[in-house]
Parts: sequence; structure tokens; C-alpha cells
Amino acid sequence: MDRDLLRQSLSYHGQSLFSLLRSEQIENPDFNSIAADLSKSVPQRRDAPGGTSIVEQFVARKADLLFSPSWKSTSIVQYELQEETSEPYAVMPPLEQFMEVPEQERKDLFYRDVERGDVIIGRITSIREFGFFVALICTGGGLERDVEDLELTALCPIREVPSTRSHDDPLSYYQIGDLIRAGVKDVDRYQEKITISLHLSSLCPSMGKTKLGVISKEDLPLHYSRGASDCCESYEKILESSLGFSNPTNVDVLLVKLGIDETLSPSLMRGLQKKHFLEEDFADNIRKKQSASWALKCVKTGVDHFKAGRHVEAMNEYNKALEIDTNNVEALVARGALYATKGSLVKAIDDFELALETCPSHRNAKKYLCQTLVERGGQLEEEKKLVTAEGLYKKALTLDDSFREAEDALRKLQMHIQKTLKLREQEMAKEQEKAKTVETSAEKLRKILKEEKRMKRKRRRSSSSSSSSSSSDATSSSSSRQKSKKKKHKRRHSSHSHKKRQRRVSSHGYRSDEEDAEESYPAPANTSASFINQKHAVAQLFEDERSQGMSKSSGSFCASSAAEVLEDSRGRFEDDPFECSPCPAEPGKAKDRHGDKCLGSKPLERDVNGRERVAHSDHRKSDTPHMVCKKRVSSTSESSAHRRYSSSSAGSEYSHKSETQSRDIHSQGMSSHRWSDADKKESRDSRRSEGNGHRSCNDYSQKSRRFSEGGQKKELPSNLVDIFSQIAQFEKEKSTKQKK
Amino acid sequence: MELVGRSHEGRGSGDVAKHELSQDIKTHFRVCRFIIETGVKLRMRSMPVATACALYHKFFESADLPAYEPYLVAMAAIYLAGKVEEQHLRARDIINVCHRYFKPGCEPLELDGKFWELRDSVVHCELLILRKLNFQVSFIHPHKYLLHYLLSVRGLLNRHACARTPITETAWALLKDSYHGPVCVRHRPQHLALSVLYLAMNSYGVELPAGEAEWWQVLCEDVTKAEIDAIVSELMELYNMEARCT
Repeated sequence: MDRDLLRQSLSYHGQSLFSLLRSEQIENPDFNSIAADLSKSVPQRRDAPGGTSIVEQFVARKADLLFSPSWKSTSIVQYELQEETSEPYAVMPPLEQFMEVPEQERKDLFYRDVERGDVIIGRITSIREFGFFVALICTGGGLERDVEDLELTALCPIREVPSTRSHDDPLSYYQIGDLIRAGVKDVDRYQEKITISLHLSSLCPSMGKTKLGVISKEDLPLHYSRGASDCCESYEKILESSLGFSNPTNVDVLLVKLGIDETLSPSLMRGLQKKHFLEEDFADNIRKKQSASWALKCVKTGVDHFKAGRHVEAMNEYNKALEIDTNNVEALVARGALYATKGSLVKAIDDFELALETCPSHRNAKKYLCQTLVERGGQLEEEKKLVTAEGLYKKALTLDDSFREAEDALRKLQMHIQKTLKLREQEMAKEQEKAKTVETSAEKLRKILKEEKRMKRKRRRSSSSSSSSSSSDATSSSSSRQKSKKKKHKRRHSSHSHKKRQRRVSSHGYRSDEEDAEESYPAPANTSASFINQKHAVAQLFEDERSQGMSKSSGSFCASSAAEVLEDSRGRFEDDPFECSPCPAEPGKAKDRHGDKCLGSKPLERDVNGRERVAHSDHRKSDTPHMVCKKRVSSTSESSAHRRYSSSSAGSEYSHKSETQSRDIHSQGMSSHRWSDADKKESRDSRRSEGNGHRSCNDYSQKSRRFSEGGQKKELPSNLVDIFSQIAQFEKEKSTKQKK
Repeated sequence: MELVGRSHEGRGSGDVAKHELSQDIKTHFRVCRFIIETGVKLRMRSMPVATACALYHKFFESADLPAYEPYLVAMAAIYLAGKVEEQHLRARDIINVCHRYFKPGCEPLELDGKFWELRDSVVHCELLILRKLNFQVSFIHPHKYLLHYLLSVRGLLNRHACARTPITETAWALLKDSYHGPVCVRHRPQHLALSVLYLAMNSYGVELPAGEAEWWQVLCEDVTKAEIDAIVSELMELYNMEARCT
């Protein structure tokens, strides 16, 4: 209990109150502790107006509430500058003006209450060299007192006057009769002297916006002007005529200004004390509980629907539940489960996560979320978004450590990633090797080409076109760059046209390989029926095999295996005849750069390959030159990759392989002079094949491959005669082989 | 309404008429207490609560208690007051809080036929109140008068003394408590505000400088000391009634 307050009250009411207090507050330990103190200070009962006994009774009864320390307002009374433009509440003249308090008392009161930092308004009466004197008119922005007729003066010393101009006497700015607003710097109550200042620093921070110095009549505070204008008006009249009184929100503004907090809802009734109100009885809390229970009902009916298989109704119920109570955990989990069953895994994951945010320990939500994450991870894996899938698996594991499936899936995926990374690295290495070999072999190729040309001429003279062509082929194949691709095209063409090039004498191996490679582009299949395969299936199989083959083939590029490869390629060539039919599936050649090394084991789709190649060539021709260049420059692996990926292209692989092989083996004597010719022939072939078959390419990937290859081909001039001669050579060789 | 039970207890002693009268007064007191409590739980501001109580008192000035269910009238008064004073309340919240008032600690109502019946009855009663009061449902409350008076009085006091003495809280609390009884509608708002302030100042022994006129006379010219005293005594009576009714 506030002792000072009690004392104050007691001194006002006197002894009777004290005795009453004693009787009423007998159980109050607080009171008892200070009762002894109080008894000493209670004066005799003075003449109090009648009827206070009731009040005293009231005070005595409610003393524990009235005098409790927590009853005071929390906010300190802060004087703020009154915004004169707006009037949120009615600003009234000082009450003492209405009460007509005698001068002396007003003076006393004023001196009692004025403090440093208050704002004073006055008129300059005299200017001296040490400052100027101001007769106070009124107070501004703090105390509201009627002081005009009190004839108080205040001094503003020169040091408190801010200098307006640099060298002039600051006081010269002011004249007698000016209205000045200043801050009180010092008050001497006993000698009744006030020192004012024009510096803003003399004011308290809340009054920082006040303009000190000379003001005009309009700037005079409202409470003064209202009071001065019509002193005959009653308080009530002024109150009700002022604009601020009609403001609907003036109650709220004043509550803030006076420091009353509505949320505390003060009351002197015993039953209305704050402590009697339970938090759960408040409207918003009941509402929350109610919404939750209503939503739960909807969820239950929804689950019934779900179990009976009526998914649409179930979804409706869940949505209804979520409308009633957003973020209802059960509804979210149930809806998530429904989404997961229907297959919208992303939405399901969102719902589960939202549910877990609200209620992190929900078992079902965790469980379902783990399952859905793993499932989604599986989906992503198929889409090759391996990193995202990995993230999801890890997330599932963090949620539930014991989730078997997630662990397994994660391990599997990580292994897969590692594998792919390894393979990639290998391929990169190989590419680099190839690049090197390419670079290093460039010169050799040139030499070889020259040789080939010479040989060709010789052969022509010697009338063995086949050898020249084969040499040229060989040379062409040996050049890993542009030529290889061109060769491929060429050879494909040739293979298309000459189906029977498969078996090559090993002596012609390289050349024939080249040619075969070209020819075998249409994938010499082991089975004649292979060309019947669906392109897509073929493509899929092809890719699978390729990936497998990649790993296999990574080692297989050694020259030692070349023969085998050759054999394979030859085998592939056998299928070429079947592939002459138009419309091969466009091999998805745009794919890997990394190692088509594994030409080995793809006997399938050769027919398709062949067709694809043709299509490829078609497309390639349509390519822009720069693409062609690019393609040419790209490693043989790329081209081989292209071939490989062509759904049909065992043959492409083969051709690629043969190219690479030829690259590797180029030193073994490939006539180089025919290289360019070969390339040209390739292009011609390709064009021819284009002419033969503008096959519709079903596979876009194949098209891209074609682009790359076709580009290459574009650059080559086509020489039909050369091509035909080549073909003739192949056939001859074949026949010779067979004879052997 | 089976939801709302009327807890009239017979008190055998005293004059029957007087007893009846006091019984009615007690009922009104309890219902007003119910309104104010519900207002707190609905987080209503002071003005809408005051309007609700005023509506209730005004309604029963011309209506008889046996004819109308007072608690239903109270709920409808709260609903209507929220609309009048621009603090719109949902009927669902009012029903929830009131249901829990009568059955403490129970589960929230289910969304079934009973709930819709309750809602219907509240809405119908609202219309009944409107008709009974001739659609004059906006009141001038003493709250803003009290606040302005407080400002003016505070200006006369020393700021530190004023900060120490919780006149504002006490006056505000007294004003809100005054709505338990019909005193709120029987006097002019200025007078009520003045009386409340007077009581608050008196309780703490705060003295204002004496001038030609008393401060309360200045604030409201047509009030007399007698009236102030009368109002004060009525307020006291309300506090006494609390002990007897609840």
C-alpha cells in the first residue's frame, strides 16, 4: 500500500477515516504494517463537509484496491507540444481562469508548479545590454495557467539568445513588444525570478519541435486564445462548441494521453478484478477451440469418404475443414495423405510440412512426410534430378532416423551419383586424351591424307578404286575431327546403299572400318528383325546399353580390341541392307560427348541407326555452317556419341568406334589424301541419302544429332561419282573377302 | 431458453413488494455484471459496454421482467451495442462466451441445430430491443466529459502530485462500475462524470485551489452539491449490492 497516498487521504479525512480503515482492513497485512506509522501522522478531524462518512466507508472498504501500488498509471505524464492545427480533443482554457482563483494563489501555484523545461510565452518589455525582459502572457505546451494578469517578468540573458547574424548584436533582432516563446531555464521560487532561454536545449526532449523566439499572434496557444477571447463563456459552453469535442475518437486519444489502459479494465468491484478472468474464457480462445473441433468433425467425415474411395468428397470435406480452421493439423495431414495417394506429391509435401510447423510432434505427419519425400525422391531420380532427390532423402532421414527406405534409397542414390561422377570423369579424361590425340594426330592425318591422295591417284591408275576408297575411308576415319563425322555420314550413306559391306578383310580393316563405320551407321543388327523395333524402346535400350557399354568400353579402346570392334562393326553392317528403308528414327546424337567408346555391345537398332543416319545427314545438311564447324571440331567421341544415342545406332557407335579406332590406328597406314575426299563423299552421301529418304525423324534427339552431323556434312561438297566409286570398292573388297 | 437459467432465489424476509423490487434490482445487477464480464472477455472497449448496459436499462424501464428473459436481452444488447459503437462483434463469439458463462469449463458448442436456434433468438431479440426503444439507440456517455474534466483538473495540480495519485484510474473504474445500475441512464452524463471525479478526488484527499467558484461548479454549471452527493451515494449502493448479490 502506498504510504504517502494513505497519509494524504488520512490528512484530508481525519481520524474517522483512520478508525474506519482500521476496522475494515483488519485482515490486510499491508495496512497493519503501516498502521502504526500512520497513527502518528493523523491529525484531528477537521471541518469536513457532511456526507463524507459514506465516502470514508467506501475508502476504507476499497483501500486495498485504491492504495495498491499497481493501481497507478504506468505512463509518466509527459507534456507534449499541442498540435495547433488538429484538435483531437477539446482544448480548454485553464480551469483557474473559470474558477477565478485569486491572484496571489495563482502566483503561488505558478511558482510551485513551473519547472525547468516548460515553455513560456511573453512580450518583450525592455531590452538591456545583458538581455531582455519579458512579461509573461501565458504558458505554452505544458502547464496551462492563467498568468497574464499576474505581471510576472522573466529575464532572458544575452547568452541564452542564439546569434542570428554573425557579428551583429543578437539583441538587435528583437524589439519591444515582440511576442516571444521561450523555455524556462531556471526558476527561483523564493525570489520569484525566472530565467528563460531561447535555446532549444533548455527544453525537454518531448518538446523538441517547439519553435522558440519571436512568434506571432496566431501562434499563441489555443487554451490562451480561447480563454482570452470570451471570458464570460462558461466552461461547458466552450467545451461543447469546440471542434475536438465532437471527434468520435477523442475518448481513445485522451485515454492514451491520460495513461489509462483499457485492456487492464480497471474496476473497483470485487468480482471484476483481473485475477478472476480465466484466459480460456475469452472469446477468441473459445473460438479457436470451437473451430478446431468443428474442423475435426469435417476431417472425420472426410476420412470416411477416403476409406470408401470417394476421393472427391473427401477432398471437399478436408477443404471445408481448412476453411473453418486454417492450419488445422489433422486436416492438413489427411489432405496430404489424399494428395499423396492421388500422386500430387509436391502438394502433399507442402501440407505435411505445414502441419509439422504447427505441431512438430505429430507422428502421422512425420511418417507420411518421410514416405512422400522418398517417393518424390524416386520420381526425381527418374527425371535425373539427382541432387534434389538426394536432398529429399536426407531430409526424410533427418525427420525420422529409423526410416529404412529412405536410408536405402539415399545410399543407392549416392552410389549412383558417384558412379555417374566417375564415369563423367573418365569420359572427361578420355575426351582430353582424344583431344590430345586429335591434336597430335592432326598433322599425321594431314600426312596421311596426302598419302591417300597419292595412293588414290595411284590406285585409280591401278584401277583399284576400292583400295583408294578404303584408304580414304581409313584416313577419313583416322582424322578424329571433322572428317570422322563426315566420314560417318558418308559411310552411312554408303552403308545404306551398299548393304553388304560388313565383312571386311582385316587388311582393309581400317578403311573398311571407316566405310563400315559409315555404312554401319544404320546399325548392323545381329537380328534382321531389329529394325522392326520401336524407336523409343530402341532408344531406351540403347541408352541403357550405352551407359553400361560405356563402362565396359572405357577400357576397350585399346588397339587390341580394335579388331573385335571391327568384327562387331562388321556384324553391324550386315544389317545395313535392312536399313535402307526410309524413315529411320533419328538417332539421338546430341547426347554424349563422353565416350561412345562402348560401341561394342550394341547390335540393336542398327537398322534404325542407318535410317537415323540418313535422317541425320538430312538434318545435318540443314544445319548452319557454324554448327557444322563446331561439330567437326568436337571430338570424335561426340560424334560417336551422337551416333550412339541415336536410337538405332549400334551402327553409329560402331562407326564412331571405328573412327576412334582408326584414330588410334591411324598410324597404321591410312591414306590421308582421301580424307577430304572422303569427307566430301560423306557429305555427298549424306545428301544423297537425304535425297533418298527424307525420313521423318521421330526422335528429336536424333534430329539434334543429325544437326551436328549434318552440319559437318554440309561443308563437304558431294561428289556422287566418288561415292559410287567407293561403293564399288567396298563391294569388291567384300567379294574378295568372301572369296578368301 | 433452457440454456439460460434464472437464478432467482426467494428471500423470505421483508416486505413482499420491497422484496420483489429488490429482487428485480438484484436481477438487473446480476445481468449487468454479466454484460460487463462478457464485455471484458470479448475485449470490448468501455463505450460499447456502456452502450450495452444503457440499452438494457432503458429496455427494462418500460418492460417487465417476467415477460422477457433478461439474459437474452443482455446478449442482444451487447450485439446491438457493438454495431452502434462501431466495434462489431460476431454472434458466434457472444454465444460462445455466454454459453461458457452459464456452464463454466464446458466444451464449446457444436455447430448443430441448437446453435442456430440460439443465434436466431439473439437476432430476434435485437430487433425487439430496437422496437422497444423506438430505434433511439445512440447515447451520449459521460466518458468523454470525464476525460476532459480530468485534463482540466490535472492542469491545476502539480504534475508530480498528480502522477502519484491515481485519480484517473479510480475515476475511470468508478465510471465503468456505475453501469451496474440504472444510475447511468437517470442522470445527465456531465453530472455523472462530475460525481465520479469528485468521488475519486475525495477518496485520495486531493484538494484543488479554491476560487470564487468550486471547481465542479465550474465544470458543469447546472449541477448542485446535492445532486453530486446523491449520485455518489447511489454509486456506493452499487458497491454494497455487490456483496449481497454475488
